[in-house]
Amino acid sequence: MRLIAELERLQAGRGHIDAGSLRELSSRLRVPLYRLEGLVSFYPHVRTNPAPPTVVSICRDVSCHLADGATEAAAVKRMLADREDVAVEETSCLGCCELAPAARVNGHPCRMREAAAIAGSTSPAAGPDRQGRTAVATWQVEPYGDGERYGALRAALAAASPDAEAERIVDVLEAAGLRGMGGAGFPTGLKWKLVRSEPARPKYVVCNADESEPGTFKDRVIMEELPHLVVEGLALGAFVVGAAKGIIYLRHEYEAARRALEQELERARGAGLLGPGILGSGFDLDVEIFVSPGGYILGEETALLEALEDRRGEPRNKPPFPGQAGLHGRPTLMNNVETLALVPPILHRGVDWWRAAGREGHAGLKFISVSGHVEKPGVYEIRTGTTVEELIAAAGGVSDGRSLKAFAPGGASSHFLPADRANVPIDFATLERAGSMMGSGALVVVAEGTPMLPLAANVVRFFRNESCGKCVPCRVGTEKATQMLAESLEEGVPLDWPTIRKLDLLLRETSICGLGYVALNSLLSVAEHWPQEVPGCPAGSAKG
Amino acid sequence: MPSLTVDGRSIEVPAGTTIWEAARRLGVEIPVLCHDPRLEPVGVCRLCLVDVGEKKLTASCVRVAEEGMEVRTSSERLAACRQGLIELLLSDYPARPADRYKTAPDLLVSQARDLGIRWPSPAGGFPAGDGRGIDASSKVILVDHQACILCDRCVRGCDDVQVNEVIGRTGKGYATRIAFDLDQPMGQSTCVSCGECEKVCPTGALSLVRPERGAPDAVASADTDWEVL
Repeated sequence: MRLIAELERLQAGRGHIDAGSLRELSSRLRVPLYRLEGLVSFYPHVRTNPAPPTVVSICRDVSCHLADGATEAAAVKRMLADREDVAVEETSCLGCCELAPAARVNGHPCRMREAAAIAGSTSPAAGPDRQGRTAVATWQVEPYGDGERYGALRAALAAASPDAEAERIVDVLEAAGLRGMGGAGFPTGLKWKLVRSEPARPKYVVCNADESEPGTFKDRVIMEELPHLVVEGLALGAFVVGAAKGIIYLRHEYEAARRALEQELERARGAGLLGPGILGSGFDLDVEIFVSPGGYILGEETALLEALEDRRGEPRNKPPFPGQAGLHGRPTLMNNVETLALVPPILHRGVDWWRAAGREGHAGLKFISVSGHVEKPGVYEIRTGTTVEELIAAAGGVSDGRSLKAFAPGGASSHFLPADRANVPIDFATLERAGSMMGSGALVVVAEGTPMLPLAANVVRFFRNESCGKCVPCRVGTEKATQMLAESLEEGVPLDWPTIRKLDLLLRETSICGLGYVALNSLLSVAEHWPQEVPGCPAGSAKG
Repeated sequence: MPSLTVDGRSIEVPAGTTIWEAARRLGVEIPVLCHDPRLEPVGVCRLCLVDVGEKKLTASCVRVAEEGMEVRTSSERLAACRQGLIELLLSDYPARPADRYKTAPDLLVSQARDLGIRWPSPAGGFPAGDGRGIDASSKVILVDHQACILCDRCVRGCDDVQVNEVIGRTGKGYATRIAFDLDQPMGQSTCVSCGECEKVCPTGALSLVRPERGAPDAVASADTDWEVL
């Protein structure tokens, strides 16, 4: 963390890091130059060349693609073409898909169509902070209302036997059936139990707040609006596994979330809920925020650990898993923002409440980012088991009165499904049975009339752009797939389908991490459900 | 001492032994590109994947052998993966890298021939890549980035074996390249021309600069396109 923090400090000073500064850093910290080169060239938020006073970042990913971002991006570039003091840069999903097509001007989120005007104003740095809010005013997961917060943590620390209490908490989470909300869906109670049983010390707890999957912004809203539940969930995790150090690994773009979390950590320290001997118990916990130097792959748990250890964020070969050998080789409990935020309400209100919160046999509540062709994109807190069509209706319906053509329920890595499956209840098992997955809880809505192959090509290109480059199949395979799709779309030539199938086999079977496994999911699902839109794909053979 | 089976044959190995090493002790050579027993394994070329009965295949060069493990080193699934990986790499490989001198045969090309892949020829239907460039700034080593498969062997040879700490990687994703210091040309970097990187490089990416006097004393190897010194 020290080296990356030094790089951030250097960049904050001059806006970029030149070779002279790197050489000075190299001799001062006795770090070889090649290591610094490896870092500064890997992380997108490190600049080695001076930036102009105004930087406009325009998103090119799925929700913005659906909002005709390409046309707007071209307009922004045209309007700012003769401004030498403005750089327009294409970037991966910014995590504010409710503003799609979205942009940032010197770090401030805005709609792309406003970007040129904001950048053209005299002091663009003072542009509006347009972090979009959601339509929902109160959250059902909030267990404390206006009353005293941190009730679940207080109860845990007041228990006569910390060991028995930790085991009770694990039992409650297992009985609730809580699963990881970051994408993989690993059972939370089991994860806590496994890390608890590891004998090595010290242990760490990491909150994975590096939400970067196109179409996904629920964690951002949770951190902005319910930061106390995230901090309390993290503290409960630390209490159960026996960690004294917690880290919130936060994506770079989430500045409003950072402010909310910083304020919450300050409040908690002031109230004696963090620090040494919390509330007079023998439990110590220190929590800090680490701002990611950037890149989707850092959300992969072991890539994240590599970044925390000052290396290029490239996923590790597993096993060992972070729970066994994570940060600095020590047992590390890592959970997603939403997962941690759901722990206090479950403990405070009990398993029966959690089960009853869902619908028709589905347990609990779920945060879903809704984007794409809907009237009111935003973050929706739903009862698990709510159907996709009900959620689309809650979001104001398909935009401009169109009918539904397709949807991806779990972000860019989940399979697109046709409209006739929109009656699927939103839950892990039901979405899998329907041929897709919960993924990162991001419903991307596609209206009738939208060509599906360019949409799939957009998603495949995202994974190519965000591949770390460590393993052969992902580094080379995502590039070949992107090239083949671009050629097919630009020149109207059929796709060489057997080669696409081979690429999918290699990505799925041989990649080190999940980025490679899912890279062609969008394309395969489009070929399965809309084969007539995929030249070269023999109908009915998409799965073959 | 965990005991495991490799392709049905039992072996007991010291704790911490990798599957690749255990197989080797049984005389089973699992194909590799990025691994060299002298180097810490990194598991990036994926050629050494084996089936241990889990949902995912696992890289035998990094995976530690466990008690009771049943390892399969060959199957239709594994063969398809290995062939595809080699084809992927060959699709970006220079068609006929002439004038290269290596101290060892080209491992990528020989692996391809072992698998019956005809090369040079269009590799597996994948579009060809090129344009990564050549760095001829060093008097000793010629760097052909297009022939580099990012196996990390030269990085480990330079930084871990020789502790010269010059070679690393720059960039990300498909644009990743090996780099010297702060991405200097090799001849202007702090490289001391020890030759370790060429020695461990399994392809034509790092080769020896052709001696200026006349025809080389090289012997053309029967199974490579390189001339081997």
